[in-house]
Amino acid sequence: MQESKKGRMFSPDFTFSKRLLGLLMLISGIGAFFSILAIDLIDVGREGGIGPAQQIALAAALLTSVIGLTLIPLGDHPA
Amino acid sequence: MTDLTLSVRAKNAPLLSALTIHRILMALALLVLLGYFTVYVGYAQNLIAFPFDYDQGEGFELVDTILFSRGEFPYKNTDLYPFYSSNYPPLFHVIAAPFVWIFGEAYWYGRLLGFIGTLITALAIGCAVRRAGGNTWIAAASGFAFLASNTVYHIGPLFRQHMTMVMFETLAVVILCGVNEIEDKRERRCVMLAGLAMILAAGYTKQLAIATAVGVFAFLFIRQPRRAVLYGIGFTLVGGAIFVWINLATEGQWWLQTIAANVNEFIPDQTFGLYRLWFGLHGFLIIPAALLVIYELYFARLSIYAFWFVAAVANAALSGKWGAGDSYFATAIAATCILSGIFASRVVDRMWTFPPNYLTRAGSALLKPFAPLRPALHSAALIAIPLIYLGYGRAVLHLPTDIAPYSWIADALGVQPNALNNFYDSAGRIAGGYADIGHWTTQADMDAGWQIVERIRATPGDVLSEEAAFNLLAGKTVITNPTQLLNLANNGMFDSSALIALIEAQHFGLIVLRAQFYPIDVLQAIDRNYERTEAIPMNGFEYILMQPRAVPLRNDSDS
Repeated sequence: MQESKKGRMFSPDFTFSKRLLGLLMLISGIGAFFSILAIDLIDVGREGGIGPAQQIALAAALLTSVIGLTLIPLGDHPA
Repeated sequence: MTDLTLSVRAKNAPLLSALTIHRILMALALLVLLGYFTVYVGYAQNLIAFPFDYDQGEGFELVDTILFSRGEFPYKNTDLYPFYSSNYPPLFHVIAAPFVWIFGEAYWYGRLLGFIGTLITALAIGCAVRRAGGNTWIAAASGFAFLASNTVYHIGPLFRQHMTMVMFETLAVVILCGVNEIEDKRERRCVMLAGLAMILAAGYTKQLAIATAVGVFAFLFIRQPRRAVLYGIGFTLVGGAIFVWINLATEGQWWLQTIAANVNEFIPDQTFGLYRLWFGLHGFLIIPAALLVIYELYFARLSIYAFWFVAAVANAALSGKWGAGDSYFATAIAATCILSGIFASRVVDRMWTFPPNYLTRAGSALLKPFAPLRPALHSAALIAIPLIYLGYGRAVLHLPTDIAPYSWIADALGVQPNALNNFYDSAGRIAGGYADIGHWTTQADMDAGWQIVERIRATPGDVLSEEAAFNLLAGKTVITNPTQLLNLANNGMFDSSALIALIEAQHFGLIVLRAQFYPIDVLQAIDRNYERTEAIPMNGFEYILMQPRAVPLRNDSDS
């Protein structure tokens, strides 16, 4: 089974391809990265800048994006 | 092939083939891991015979079990006498409840259940590795490696629900591993329902299983989104219905006690320290496990174990919460044992395939000059696999240093005791949240426990004890669950006035403190109205016995 060429995600024979998983990871990693940064922008009462836990979370989000990026060229191989 | 060639080959053949060396070393590795298993069994036997709290809070799990055996929920209003509540889901205590009916109030059956749960988990790990790799020796090593982990050793035979959660989680992923490949619809549905029931059971054993649910549903979604969504809806409805039912039956206390009060302070240094400890002890297995995840990511299909591993390792970050600890890595350790076992099986049986993609193309160009070395590399890998398990065996070293035959091993390795009661444990405290347990209890600990029970029996009326066992054995009402009161107080959800009023009225004939985990205002009230009369050491802790002061100290806030 591979990602349906018709793009029907909820069809019974649909499965994620490496490319689609890569895109998902790239987008969610970028989203998570900016969301973590936004914690400091939105929560103006906080002091001390980006803490150690936030730094780790930022690194994890970045890593997710990079891994996602490297999966995209793998194309239609099933994830 | 000529006779000459054959004779030359025979002449140059090594004395022992790589496969023979592999088998000898693998037998040695299994022997080491079996040695740890005997230490584990000895520890479990020792704790099962110990009638008092060993790890802080075990007694309150027993109280939860007693309440369930009476058909009562332990999620109660802590503002009212006896100020008791629980912050744990019910399943483990419900499973243990029939033992209360048969054997009365005791610790041994809860500890036995926890211990049996770890054996089932190890067996499931072995089955998973055997099924995926077909190598029985490595499957056995993977199961025993789980039991040899310092973390699993510490908490396995405790009256605690954590390892039962890990058992349900492991069973869930092992059951669901190949669910999408089942052609027969009816069989697939049965397997899916069985696996999801295990996740639900894990979640209702301890909240931490949420990560396994996330990992499993991510796997199901990637493989077959439609099926994942449909079953996900059913799973949410069943799980949610149970949640709402308990919440209604306890008039909202279930939500307050198990969810709202569990939001505790996060200590990043504790998390980092515990990650370091986890890697230091299990690094020999973590690296192959991570390599297999990378392989699956780029060259094969991602297995449920890969999703589970990533989710469990990420979830271990919660170990930095106040009240959490190294036990939060137990799920990650189970996943690590499965993945590293599959990795080892693949190495031994040359089960790697690399489909053409941009990485294999780049790799083949780079590795082309090394192609003639392939047989030698495989031989080296054959020898490296058992060395990984031997290295792991050295990293997790833990044993009593004064009991033969362990004392001989300790002497041979030059190991000195670094924990209580002549015990050596390579997992030392390098961060907060580390449980200082693992040592075996002694007759002196037992005598000290009974001494405290006698003091409580001799006291008329109520006794406030930080450990439940003493009150239970003395036939007194268990009053308060200190850590839960502290959880609630830290979140502004505990009204301490009724408890403090009793303390100020010197209602309790005796107060027994251990770690002093009560909320600050309660501890201050105790200090004003009670004085230390005795300290009895037991199991490495000093139990402070306090009796009413003749003249209570003045409360500074009155002035």
